[in-house]
Amino acid sequence: MNEVSASSAGKAPAISIKNLHKSFGSLKVLEDINLTVFSGEVVVIIGPSGSGKSTLLRCIKNLERPERGAIFVEGRPLEARSKSFKALQQEIGMVFQHFNLFPHMTALENVMEGPVTVKKMQRKEAEGIAMDLLSRVGLAEKKDVYPSRLSGGQKQRVAIARALAMQPKVMLFDEPTSSLDPELVGEVLSVMKNLAREGMTMIVVTHEMGFAREVADRVVFMDGGRILEEDVPLNIFRAPRHERTKSFLEKIIV
Amino acid sequence: MDFAYMKSLMPILGVGAVTTVELTILSVIFGTFIGLLLALMKISSNMIFSRAAGFYIYVMRGTPLLLQLFAIYYGGPSIGINLPPFVAAVLGMSANSAAYVAEIIRAGIQSIDRGQMEAARALGMTYGQAMRRIILPQAYRRLIPPMGNEFIALLKDSSLVSTIAMVELMRVAQQMYANSFKPIEVFTMAGIYYLMLTSIFTIIFGKMERRFSVYE
Repeated sequence: MNEVSASSAGKAPAISIKNLHKSFGSLKVLEDINLTVFSGEVVVIIGPSGSGKSTLLRCIKNLERPERGAIFVEGRPLEARSKSFKALQQEIGMVFQHFNLFPHMTALENVMEGPVTVKKMQRKEAEGIAMDLLSRVGLAEKKDVYPSRLSGGQKQRVAIARALAMQPKVMLFDEPTSSLDPELVGEVLSVMKNLAREGMTMIVVTHEMGFAREVADRVVFMDGGRILEEDVPLNIFRAPRHERTKSFLEKIIV
Repeated sequence: MDFAYMKSLMPILGVGAVTTVELTILSVIFGTFIGLLLALMKISSNMIFSRAAGFYIYVMRGTPLLLQLFAIYYGGPSIGINLPPFVAAVLGMSANSAAYVAEIIRAGIQSIDRGQMEAARALGMTYGQAMRRIILPQAYRRLIPPMGNEFIALLKDSSLVSTIAMVELMRVAQQMYANSFKPIEVFTMAGIYYLMLTSIFTIIFGKMERRFSVYE
């Protein structure tokens, strides 16, 4: 814990989560979550399914309403009723497990949609931004293709470009490679690695331990709606302190 | 069968058929607007809107169109509302059709994957923007086949407005039969007109369905 704060010293917190609680009916999904993600940091959240990882991301993106607790974006509280809510939410981009591309729009139109509809940007300008982003994810030549004609990996890369088009300061990835065929995982991870290298603040829920080891500044292990431990990847993978972390990693790493 | 007489019926029944088409198209247009509003109310999280829309749909689908037309045309004057037959007919048919259209649209909206709304909201869209830009454009492609069915059902049901002094295809046929006492000729000819109309609109809706399914 100490070396984590030391490595992040001097950096401003991008996202802080304080005492977050969330239940679905009587099922407690998140219990007293406290987490701070610093600007430019890549945090990977791992843990068994049902541990609340995705729900945590969905709470940050306001797709779920937590019962208690607070979320801060760059120190400002994220409250649904506050005036700054919309602006703060726009600083957070999200990528989903099932891509959720808009099937009635081409790849280019998908990426342009946020700037044009939400930011009221001129189509010409938005098209320029969208083309740049499609090139960055290596899909410039697919600009006029509808999602149904793209592979899973290509869809997810377009989805990443679509989220980046809103120029977020933080990117959330909710199991971005979990519904991909194994041979398509690499292309998505490499786009994410580039993004991390460029200094994007990222919170990634994933089962890709190789990615966590290589890219994460910090790995968070969740189980049963709680954060059991967090540390630099080296420590988590080599010497997990918690018994549950150890048994999870033993099962997942063959 | 008196084929010469049947041929002589063509122009006058044709005039009635035009009125039938006018009635149907107007009613479907109004019915679609009201139906969309009802569908959005019904799926809204506001309980008052949702219940009100649900009750309207329940009543309009649970009672006969003929009764609704009578209530408007004959019941209206007793509370001081005198409507000409054409207006009463369009009003009754729109109000009735809206209930069916609302259920078609609601089912269409709810058939769109939940992730679409989430992706739209995640980009920062409001509920209204997400509906207009993302959900409805996908839903309406799926709506074309059931809306085509609704249109054709309404076209045939429009024959009921002949009972409220509205002169359309069915009413003209009844008048010609009363003049000539040649039921076989008159109703066969009227039936051919209805078949022609339903065939034309079946083809039109089929074309629309193919055109709008490009991306799937």
